[in-house]
Amino acid sequence: MSAAETAAETAAETATRRTPGLVPVGETLRSAERGPRQPAADPGTPPARMPWSFWRLLGSELGLTFRRPRNLLMLAALGVVPIVIGVALRVVAAEDGMGGIIEDVAGNSLMLTFVSFSFLVLLFMPVVVSVVAGDSIAGEAGAGTLRYLLAAPSGRTRLLAVKYVNAVVFAYAVTAAVALPALATGLVLFPAGDVTLLSGTTISMGDGLLRIVIAVGYVGAGMAALAAVALAMSTFTEVSIGAIAATIVLIIVCQVLRAIPELGSITPYLLPTRFTNFDAVLRSPIDTAAMGEGLLAFGAYILLFGSIAWARFSGKDITS
Amino acid sequence: MRRGTYVRWGVPVAAAAVIGAAIGAGPVIAAVSGDPVLPERSAQQLLADAASVTSKAGGVPPMSGTVQQTASLGLPALPQTGDTSPLSLLSGSHEVKVWYGAHDKVRMAIPTQLNETNLILDGDQGWYWDSSTNTATRLTVKKGAGQEHRTPMPQASDLTPQQLSERLLADAEQYTDVRVVNTAEVAGRPAYQLVLSPKAEGSLVQEVRIALDGETYVPLQVQVYAKGSAEPAFQVGFTQVTFTPPAPENFAFAPPAGAKVEERTLGDMPHGEHVAEERAEQAEHVKDRVKVVGDGWASVAVLPFDQKELVAKAAQAPKGGERFGPDADPKALLDSVLKSATPVSGPWGSGKLIKTKLVTALLTDDGRMLVGPVTPEEITKAAGIK
Repeated sequence: MSAAETAAETAAETATRRTPGLVPVGETLRSAERGPRQPAADPGTPPARMPWSFWRLLGSELGLTFRRPRNLLMLAALGVVPIVIGVALRVVAAEDGMGGIIEDVAGNSLMLTFVSFSFLVLLFMPVVVSVVAGDSIAGEAGAGTLRYLLAAPSGRTRLLAVKYVNAVVFAYAVTAAVALPALATGLVLFPAGDVTLLSGTTISMGDGLLRIVIAVGYVGAGMAALAAVALAMSTFTEVSIGAIAATIVLIIVCQVLRAIPELGSITPYLLPTRFTNFDAVLRSPIDTAAMGEGLLAFGAYILLFGSIAWARFSGKDITS
Repeated sequence: MRRGTYVRWGVPVAAAAVIGAAIGAGPVIAAVSGDPVLPERSAQQLLADAASVTSKAGGVPPMSGTVQQTASLGLPALPQTGDTSPLSLLSGSHEVKVWYGAHDKVRMAIPTQLNETNLILDGDQGWYWDSSTNTATRLTVKKGAGQEHRTPMPQASDLTPQQLSERLLADAEQYTDVRVVNTAEVAGRPAYQLVLSPKAEGSLVQEVRIALDGETYVPLQVQVYAKGSAEPAFQVGFTQVTFTPPAPENFAFAPPAGAKVEERTLGDMPHGEHVAEERAEQAEHVKDRVKVVGDGWASVAVLPFDQKELVAKAAQAPKGGERFGPDADPKALLDSVLKSATPVSGPWGSGKLIKTKLVTALLTDDGRMLVGPVTPEEITKAAGIK
């Protein structure tokens, strides 16, 4: 397609546009191109060109996300779960005679974090993450605010990137909202000290804390991969509950598929299969192969669904 | 649709292609670079080399890796028996991590979700650690017992490797075609594959493939192929292996604080001597009544079998007997097996046929059980021989 043709086509489109409030792709793309040119007048600081507006937009997004009562309530609800688990295990452990995880937790305080993750990582944390990530584009579109975001010279790709980084930060906030109360509860209710790994070897508490940090990084990465899926869903609809529900249904379908032994060959490719691999840090030596595979899978999901979201969003006519 | 739309959607398509390529990269790279070719060897040379290398190096060299076992035996659907049951090994795939330092320095770990089972042998003492019950069991090898089978390799003390392999092959070739494939690859390492294919027509086994590492001659993989299927019905082998000595802390184990510690001496029967004697007696008794029809790969074992008695016994047996794991119900297990059997009849009488990919069993109404790795036709033929 030649440049002249493109210009003619865009002009024709603009001319035929009649729907009030419709922002066709061409227009926002052009406004986006206009945006970053302005700071280019100062060639001395090329790295500062794009970031400034990016960070400002991200800052306002994060402010909105973390000031929103719904999101704070979800984080608080997640944070209560480890406390409940800790108290329940404390009561049960007092009665004695239970094996396995309960004894592990009763033996050392750091284990509560891993147990809380294993309870929450398969459903509750994904639900909370997909509420925020699924709401990101569809919510703006549904509320009619997407138009104004695109009217500002920010560009669609940049807006999408900001929305995704915002969702990733929230994903790590969700992970921290589980890990920190779990750590605090564990330290209060159970004896601190050396940590017994699943392999039966014992490591120092400092080493144990380091492994919690690794596990938080891993689980957060898994949630970030899920956020990419939810973001892609979000670009396909203007009803945010639709994107949220679609993501949650997808997670549940994956869990069902994983439970069917005959489909064992596809389970390695399902995202939730990788969520639980954080227990690799509890082995001796750390099962780096399992974690590496998991991180590669997360990267693949982010790449695939991120590009789907981009392809859809950058070509979408904003009608509301 | 604008043309730009296609260009844009090309990006996720390209991303999917890249991911697909990355997943399939292993096989693709292997296909492009061609099969690894080791110098050609005959079966006899290969076995002789393997025997001489292992006896010279004093057994298997230090190594560590991941062993995966996969079985798709075409069994009737079994009721859920839990992960720890030995029956669970008959279907699906299982992973074991192995660290091998020397014949008396071995660690095996079975990682499962938030659990791990470990078997650690260090010198004359060993530990069995089960994180789900928080129990460490100290295993002491009884003097005298267990000393005979230090290495699973054939001990070439009175034979030269050449003689040994000659003898082994002479025995095998009566019923088996043996050939060597020198282009196999297991766990990323070039390997020789010893292919044993049964000569018998009626055998269900297509071939058995044993892969030996091209450099160290350590067996890396065993595959059993059933007739008419491209995927192995049973496979156990390394998916990842390195021939470097594993870190010494793998073999050091001290029971963690708060764990239950139990003692068990190997070579001692857990239920005392008289049970062992009883079992031996029982085995003698059964042996008298077992008959083998046919030979080699097409042999069929015929043993007396009373279906009604077995069903009654299974119903009485307490749920969660130790033989099938804690969650298994012997009666449900038996019921599901019998339900999947197809009734057959012929000049030899009538009975129920249970077919799997590798083994066929026939329960005749006149109280016999025939089991063998043969086709249903062969087994009914064997049933005719009284």
